[in-house]
Amino acid sequence: MSLFRRFVPLYIKSLKNVPTSTPVKNIHRWVAPTLMEFKRRENKLGGKKTNPRNTFLEWNLEAELYAFGKRLNEDFDSNLLLQAFTDRSYVIKEEMKQKEMEIEIKMKDNRELAEQGEKFLNEYIQVYLETVLPKFPLEGIVGIRRYLTSEDLLAHVSLHIGTKDIILAAEYPVDNFTLANTFKAIVGALLNSSGDERTAHFVRDFVITQLQGKDVNEYWHIEDPWAMLTGLLEKNQTTVEPRLIGEAGKGTLLACYRVGLYIEKRMISTGFGESIAIAKEMAAREALKKLFGTEDHMKPINFKIDGMPKPKRQSHHQISAS
Amino acid sequence: MSNKHLFLKPGFVRAPLQNGVGRYVQQLQRIVLKFCKTHGGSRGMRDYIEQDLVDFAKQNPGVVVYLKPRRHRSPVVVAEYLNGDRVWMSMHNKSQSEVTKWIEVLRTQQGDVSGTRLRKFQYTDHPSIQGPWSPFTFKNPELNTAKLPDPKFGANNRLPMSATEQLRIMFEKQRLNEKDLKTGE
Repeated sequence: MSLFRRFVPLYIKSLKNVPTSTPVKNIHRWVAPTLMEFKRRENKLGGKKTNPRNTFLEWNLEAELYAFGKRLNEDFDSNLLLQAFTDRSYVIKEEMKQKEMEIEIKMKDNRELAEQGEKFLNEYIQVYLETVLPKFPLEGIVGIRRYLTSEDLLAHVSLHIGTKDIILAAEYPVDNFTLANTFKAIVGALLNSSGDERTAHFVRDFVITQLQGKDVNEYWHIEDPWAMLTGLLEKNQTTVEPRLIGEAGKGTLLACYRVGLYIEKRMISTGFGESIAIAKEMAAREALKKLFGTEDHMKPINFKIDGMPKPKRQSHHQISAS
Repeated sequence: MSNKHLFLKPGFVRAPLQNGVGRYVQQLQRIVLKFCKTHGGSRGMRDYIEQDLVDFAKQNPGVVVYLKPRRHRSPVVVAEYLNGDRVWMSMHNKSQSEVTKWIEVLRTQQGDVSGTRLRKFQYTDHPSIQGPWSPFTFKNPELNTAKLPDPKFGANNRLPMSATEQLRIMFEKQRLNEKDLKTGE
């Protein structure tokens, strides 16, 4: 008994030191194989299906169209807006259905509106860019305009103002062409329901602002900047003189040359590169940017011009394509 | 960062579609309130619908509001955003004021914010404003007029002092001190 008494405290002490296991939340062993099996069966049936949003129970096209206008702060004519959202593919599909059922309901697609919208987009963007970049040559302006009216950019804008679910098209999800076309049609519909000025502000706020934070020189590739620069300066009876103003690591892999361009002993620009020819070309590009008013430190483009702007061209930089 | 973050969608702090440069567009495009008409878990949601929903719809004409009563299921709010995000939020047993606050959160955010892992807390399109570095970027302007070779610019002063040099200086100092002592006598 005494032996027992002697050892009881020891036994209790050892009990205290036993680590009590905290319950760990494990993912059961059956979860992964089951999910894999589900995935395999889904793939067997032809991959994951995305149901069109407009087939859901909670869908009201009229409410969606109303909210679309209100969201963008624009007053659309409701019939025109519906027409703008009706793609040609949808009309064809519906006509086929109607033929089967032997009824005929006329539907309008958005081709006309898209044409009108595209025309307005091109004209307005051209005029706007000429106003905000008065020294930039026409070829460059056309390059920026092409970027702004490209399918990808218009589709991006269209997607982010919420057209994706509302578009009536034969397929879902809709492709970029349909998205861009719908955006043009919306511009056309706005033109017909609210007039020039409202439409102009709409295009300015949603399309032209996409230039924010972008380098406008990227949309116009100049093949031979040196020839263009000398050509421009010849018209003003001035000649430009390139000078090598720095070289480092000559004859090594990391060679760096620096060329400065001078007009009447005053430096207009510098450029550097791994050979003298490249450095000269870079300097010419810098000089052209200075002439066109599109340097890296140019003032941000003004996105707040109201109405239809009237460009004042400083037209001494009209260049034929180089 | 916890392990949970590994499965979140990574992203940067960005405004969608240059929002606000031209005009501001509210990013919530539609909201679906699913609730039960009899169950107690939907009590707060029902109160919200009775008292606040009409005002919400009036103040936000750009948001399409759908109500979806369903029997004996817990209440849920599904918000859909212009960038395609869909946020599902359970409102089970939440009071009316809680529902109001959560719907305010859903209304004002720009997408599935809590479901994205921010890769950085800032973002810029132009990480460098000075352009690429070249050996001439921080060149001393004095060098333009200097006539080379010039000991001022040609001196090799980049290396730390060598041990020999340190010894030489110590020796010089010692000699000077000895001279001082002699003159003291």
